Amino acid sequence: MKAITAIGSRLLQTLFVLWAVVTILFLMFRLMPGNPMAAYIDPNFTPEQQDALMARFGLDRPLWEQYFIYLGNLLQGDLGESFFYRTPVTERILALLPNTLILTFSSLIVAYAFGILAGSYLAWKRGSRVEQVAVPVVLTTRAMPEFWLGMILLAVFSFTLGWFPAGGTRPPGAEYDGYWALYTSRDFLVHLTLPVLTLAIYSQGLPLLLMRSNMLDVMKEDFVTMARIKGLSPFTVVIRHAARNALLPVTTSFAIAVGYQIQGNVVVETVFSWPGLGRELVRAVSASDYPLAQGAFLMIAVVVILMNLIADLLYALLDPRVTRE
Amino acid sequence: MEPLLSIRDLSIAYRVGTSEMLAVENASFDVPRGAIVGLVGESGCGKTTLARSLTRILADNARIAGGQAVFDGQDIMALSERRMNALRWREIAFIPQSAMNSLDPVYTVGSQLAEVLCRRGNLSRRAARRRSEELFEWVGIEAGRLGDYPHQFSGGMRQRVAIALALALDPKLIIADEPVTALDVIVQRQILDQLRELQTRLGISVILVTHDISVVAYVCDRVVVMYAGHVAEAGPMAATLTRPAHPYTMGLRNAFPDLASAGGQLTPIEGAPPNLLHPPPGCRFAARCPFAQPACTDTVPAPVTLDDDHVVACHRWAEADTLRTRAERSETWMART
Amino acid sequence: MTNPDTPRRAGRLRRAFAGLRLPLHDPLAIAGLAIYAAFIVIAIFAPQIATHDPTEILFTDDFQLAADLRPGEDGYIMGTTTLGRDVFSQLVWGSRSALVIGLTAAFMVALIGSIVGVVAGYFGGWTDTLLMRLADVAFGIPFLPFVIVLAAFLEPSIWNVVIAMALILWRDTGRVIRSQTLTLRTRAYVEAARISGSSDVKIILRHIVPNVLPLSFLYGSIAIGWAILTEASISFLGFGDPTSISWGYMLQDAYASQALSKRSYYWFVPPGLCIILIVSAGFFISRGYEKILFPKLDR
Repeated sequence: MKAITAIGSRLLQTLFVLWAVVTILFLMFRLMPGNPMAAYIDPNFTPEQQDALMARFGLDRPLWEQYFIYLGNLLQGDLGESFFYRTPVTERILALLPNTLILTFSSLIVAYAFGILAGSYLAWKRGSRVEQVAVPVVLTTRAMPEFWLGMILLAVFSFTLGWFPAGGTRPPGAEYDGYWALYTSRDFLVHLTLPVLTLAIYSQGLPLLLMRSNMLDVMKEDFVTMARIKGLSPFTVVIRHAARNALLPVTTSFAIAVGYQIQGNVVVETVFSWPGLGRELVRAVSASDYPLAQGAFLMIAVVVILMNLIADLLYALLDPRVTRE
Repeated sequence: MEPLLSIRDLSIAYRVGTSEMLAVENASFDVPRGAIVGLVGESGCGKTTLARSLTRILADNARIAGGQAVFDGQDIMALSERRMNALRWREIAFIPQSAMNSLDPVYTVGSQLAEVLCRRGNLSRRAARRRSEELFEWVGIEAGRLGDYPHQFSGGMRQRVAIALALALDPKLIIADEPVTALDVIVQRQILDQLRELQTRLGISVILVTHDISVVAYVCDRVVVMYAGHVAEAGPMAATLTRPAHPYTMGLRNAFPDLASAGGQLTPIEGAPPNLLHPPPGCRFAARCPFAQPACTDTVPAPVTLDDDHVVACHRWAEADTLRTRAERSETWMART
Repeated sequence: MTNPDTPRRAGRLRRAFAGLRLPLHDPLAIAGLAIYAAFIVIAIFAPQIATHDPTEILFTDDFQLAADLRPGEDGYIMGTTTLGRDVFSQLVWGSRSALVIGLTAAFMVALIGSIVGVVAGYFGGWTDTLLMRLADVAFGIPFLPFVIVLAAFLEPSIWNVVIAMALILWRDTGRVIRSQTLTLRTRAYVEAARISGSSDVKIILRHIVPNVLPLSFLYGSIAIGWAILTEASISFLGFGDPTSISWGYMLQDAYASQALSKRSYYWFVPPGLCIILIVSAGFFISRGYEKILFPKLDR
């Protein structure tokens, strides 16, 4: 019963944050310097097109009325029309979302697999030479600008060694029968490698350091000592007991990392010309394509907020002490 | 009959900063087959360290500094790590003070039993399941609760789970470290009765570590009294507690309700144990002992065997009968300056 | 007669400064401090150290544009850019904007976060609820996209990053300082001060602030790195201040001028290394502080 109330209030909080972000976005795009209508109306449109859009977004009405029209349109998934593509923003955003999610998830899976193993290993090797060198090195990878790391990998593996393509998701001119054929093609994997590597190198530090410090805590617990007294093998003690317990907070951090990564993707997608939400946001802002910029921003924000929520729920789900009370 | 375990001159040291501290020094006593031996003393006297050393799983800064522990013919302290590990849980099992912290919170108790039965006992999954049900029946828990997580049990039930876990592989020796300390008195009795019953039925030896001398009196066959890292007195339970020969045991007896002589009041022993980083040269109890003489602060008393395996380490062992009469008066313990 | 208040005040001050003490026991933290000191010296003496004006377009002796020269060629220590500018001088001047942005942004983040945290934790009630819901919202706003949009709407300036950080990144500091304040508020001496009728402002300044200061400092030292990384990203994406030379700007210039395919490593490797050095120096120092603040962690 208590758990249900807690989840309920957490869901309400999520709705509140969503509403607040949507409102901030509305104000940002309406109250910016210059023509308030610029958010939706391309000055290059014909007068008839401009009038039609004025009516659709109520731009001739007072601000508060515009706000409710905006909320109403949002609820119907209407984010306006891109100036550049002349197509609905929602359509464009949804087409780009998979690219961003694939990049984000594959890089984080690589980063977490590596980080968890290496973090456990470093906790196991506490105080050794390896650990003394590894921790500052990991801190240094957290200090790298992601796009710079991408540039270095591009310069080395693409332009100098010629092993990988310089950007995009497919060779020029290549056509595929739908998304599935593209995503499962060898070309796609080859294009995916460098951006995933870049993001993974940058992201592994969080799970690694978290896993290491959790392991150090758990190794002091009585049940780990008991496992040793039981004569279980060191592998069983470290993996089945210590690592399994240390893993809980690391797992929830995965969801937070997704939310974090998706905003950081902006620069890496740009470096690798990866057609995702982040690069689209940058291009839209540069080209003053405000509806598209607003839509991309909103989509990224939704992922961030949802991931924060999932992180909290996951924690409750994975720890038997929290769920089974 | 040859005792199951025979500890001789065992010393265990802790590294503290740059110096070393002997938490246990030259401890010697026997654990007969099929007996419960109470290891009793104040906290910090080295009883837990000594008991834990029999599993050879010690704190990172602790080491065995000398002595032997001959278990079933082989010296535990001299075994290779591999042979020692073969002994763990199969021959020597452990019941911790707090089963809450000693059970892994993320696995069901059933899977923790199965882990020991399959990985250490080489049982099949199915056999492990049958054995788990049997063990739970022995300790009085429904088999249906095998699928529950540790936090779903009450304190007393968790302690029963810990006993079931310790019995899993039919060990010869169980070390129980304050197994009932965290429980209320009624549950304490239930658990001790259960332990006693299973121990007798299965013929296991138990070392029961406790600070509570009434627990010793309730359940033990023999008692070993430790003070500040030394064995002060050891012997059969009845003889040792009714006719203690060491002033510390006499004082300890006065401090617990069940044993204080009729009409007598509870009298705590004044003062605190010495700092083991800089131990006093003579008897470690001398500073708190109402009967201390100059010799007591100079030389460590050698253990003397009285009768019936009753061993005491006190310079005034010959006067034990007179001292005991004086020790029964509470003024003796208060009138010191 | 001794004034009973004097030793206690001295104790409080000592406690506050104990946290601000430089973490000189930790080799990594010392390395971090040394890196900072070096960059501060370079930033101060940038005009003396730089061999050229970083924005000046240079020409060779035969009046050709001095474009894409390799290090050492024609005496340019680290070569030149495609537009004929000196890489070394840009690198030296870049330390100025990095430090200015890093320090001001960190100061703003620590200041706002501390004020929010102390006010929310001390007063509680609806003030607390309001401020913490604001923090929830700040956690829901994607930071880098927010900076991009803000930078696009405002005039290009290095201060955009500072403003955006001040608007969003106070959230982490705020939450931590709030919970610290909550525990401080229940301490006996704070209770005593309240019962004896001290004003809230007085209690906050004398009892709360000295105790949360070390934490603010810790979060501030982490924020320096964030600010520098954010500025670099924003400049790289082309939303930076085109008139100021920063390491992010250098990288954007290199990327846009096809330095990657020209393999002009001398151009785009050094700015990245400088960023890594100064940001990881901040991480090392903050870890040193953590060891002082939370000695039990010991990791």
